[in-house]
Amino acid sequence: MSACSRSLTSSRCDRRRLLLTRRLVVPLVAVIAVVLSSCNAANPPGSAGSARATAPPTSGAVSQVFDSTSAGSSVPPNRPTAAAGYPITVQNCGFAVTVDHSPNRILAIKSTSMELLLALGLADRVVGAAFLDGPVPAQWRDAASSIPVISTGAPSNEPVLGLDPDLIIAGWESNLAPDTAGDRGRLAAAGIASYVSPAACRGASQPKKLTFPMLFAEFEEVGRLLGVRESATALVAAQQRELAAVPKLDRRVTALWWSSGSDTPYVGGGIGAPEMVMNAVGLENIAAGIDQTWTSLGWESIIGDDPDVIILVDASWSSASKKMHLLEQNPATARLTAVREHHFVTIPFPASEAGVRSVDAAKDIAHQLAALGFGSR
Amino acid sequence: MTSTRIRLPVPPASSVVEGAGESPMPAAPQASRHSARARGGLRITTYVAAAAALPASMLLAVGIGSTGIGIVDVWQTVVAHLAGTQSPLSPLRDGIVWDIRLTRVLTAAAVGAALAVSGAVMQALTRNVLADPYLLGLSSGASVGAVAALTLGVAIMPTVAAFLGALAALTLTLLLARSLGPISPSRTILAGITVSAFGVAVTSFLIFWNVQGDSYREVLNWLMGSLAGSGWTTVAVSWAVTAVIGIPLILGARVLDAFVFGDTAAASLGIHVTRARWIFLAAVALLTGVAVAVSGAIGFIGLVLPNAARLLAGFQHRLILPLCALTGATFMIWVDTAARTLFAPRELPVGIMTALVGAPIFALVLWRHRSRS
Repeated sequence: MSACSRSLTSSRCDRRRLLLTRRLVVPLVAVIAVVLSSCNAANPPGSAGSARATAPPTSGAVSQVFDSTSAGSSVPPNRPTAAAGYPITVQNCGFAVTVDHSPNRILAIKSTSMELLLALGLADRVVGAAFLDGPVPAQWRDAASSIPVISTGAPSNEPVLGLDPDLIIAGWESNLAPDTAGDRGRLAAAGIASYVSPAACRGASQPKKLTFPMLFAEFEEVGRLLGVRESATALVAAQQRELAAVPKLDRRVTALWWSSGSDTPYVGGGIGAPEMVMNAVGLENIAAGIDQTWTSLGWESIIGDDPDVIILVDASWSSASKKMHLLEQNPATARLTAVREHHFVTIPFPASEAGVRSVDAAKDIAHQLAALGFGSR
Repeated sequence: MTSTRIRLPVPPASSVVEGAGESPMPAAPQASRHSARARGGLRITTYVAAAAALPASMLLAVGIGSTGIGIVDVWQTVVAHLAGTQSPLSPLRDGIVWDIRLTRVLTAAAVGAALAVSGAVMQALTRNVLADPYLLGLSSGASVGAVAALTLGVAIMPTVAAFLGALAALTLTLLLARSLGPISPSRTILAGITVSAFGVAVTSFLIFWNVQGDSYREVLNWLMGSLAGSGWTTVAVSWAVTAVIGIPLILGARVLDAFVFGDTAAASLGIHVTRARWIFLAAVALLTGVAVAVSGAIGFIGLVLPNAARLLAGFQHRLILPLCALTGATFMIWVDTAARTLFAPRELPVGIMTALVGAPIFALVLWRHRSRS
């Protein structure tokens, strides 16, 4: 999700900027808006900057793939191959991305991008990582150990160019903007293809409601772009099996997915990864009615809904224990059912964004719920 | 950001000059007896309305929220708590009324009053209608403190950090102003601009450098101002400070009238100009520092409400300041109620709402008094 999708819609972001007349705060907000949100950074649909744009924008999150030759099913996994199956053009967040050879110098921005590449077994083709949200999970730690992290925040253009990547895979649209890794059109002109997780597309390309099939289609699409279709297919098959095995709750249980913020919590809304994962275990999101991936939610309405379970996102900047403490400290929230009965589930921040850890997140939450005594069927 | 501040000091409003031609004594306007009586009548009506609006707003606002709780139940709950009897609501709903809505309404009132009074005092001290409570760099200092606490993981509450930041900025501003010579409006303004700019840069740097994941959301919320973090502690602190500093300010308001005509005129009235200015600056700084620590940097109120109050109340500060306190409190209550309910269950930072709601109201006030403004 782009930073803005965690807060407000693009138009709302623009409006918000207009509304701010406070002299002292304007520069600060401008910094935040430009550096982090970059609502205006995404190319409007159809304004593809690539000279090689060939396909019209497709609707929906899952873009079509236009192979110029027949399927490259003979390509062995993990082996970059120049010829077969290329060039490939895909529509990605309204931007036509053309890859003319199997990329082997990939830059991964954000944990979700990095982890997808690791899950596809492509660590040796990743030349750099940036803006990771947390530690790499144990199963990939060895593979990731040789990959340099070029920036702890969103990298700027020059270090990215210096790395000479042929493909950038980004977790948020705002990672590919003039003030971050670079404008997508300009990158394409420099021979650097770019790909944003379709789950994080903004504007017309934003998924109406994210689902696991959409997420799996993203893995397959990346697999095609990188010439590792079989790895991607195998990954998706494994994840589908695991997802089907996730136990579902046997009764109606409501939940709040609290990511950050304390005075006004930022929570998982009705159309993003949190909703998708909660659905998978049979939890009913109290913020499901809000058509946002992430949203602010007032304490009053949280208390009014009195969720049975509170899912606490654990991040270095907003730890689960800090949030638990806040809940127990405030007399009004201390009376919540979930707080009184200590029905807390924790989940690491990188797993709270749509990616290869989403199925794990569902499994993890189901296990924690079972440990709390919630029955499943 | 601050270019508008570099204005030459001007009298607060043309009404100040009115009747001041013969005598610089602001307490003795030379208006005709007839119009004075008419204006006196208007003033009394204004004050009665403002004084009645505040408690009425409190009673109504506490009954409004995203959870549908009947207003009679809400009032019974408040009475039950005050009387120590059983609340008619479930414990959760009781918590919504007593711990969330009521603390928010009360904190909003104190913060609104503090900011409006601070703004009026600051405008008088600097003889500049564009001055606001944050002129001494308080909000940027508070921002540095709060953002450092939020992004650097400093083990300190953002509120406390904000207050310390505000005090640090104030100290820097006053030291800088003092080092330039006897403390004067323009020196104060320039020193404030310098410290503010520096504080804004430090805050931006902290955000740019440290923000990860979605941590900027909390920072943004703080920078735009929010009363969502209110609780009984913030009620106690904000009311205590507003009362302890605000009431003496109102009682000493006549001194401010003298400042309006310049330091020389004030000195000729027997006021120790430098000492008085220091005392007022320090008082306003404490008042604003607490407000900003409790609620973030809420703009607009401290800048615009004093101007509106001056249009309604004339130019005597013993009349302006109480009107500022009453209207500031009432305005903040309603603006915060709008911020927490208009888009419920989502919530807007109140700083967005103050200008969104306040600017049209102020435009109306200006238009109604177009001959005088």
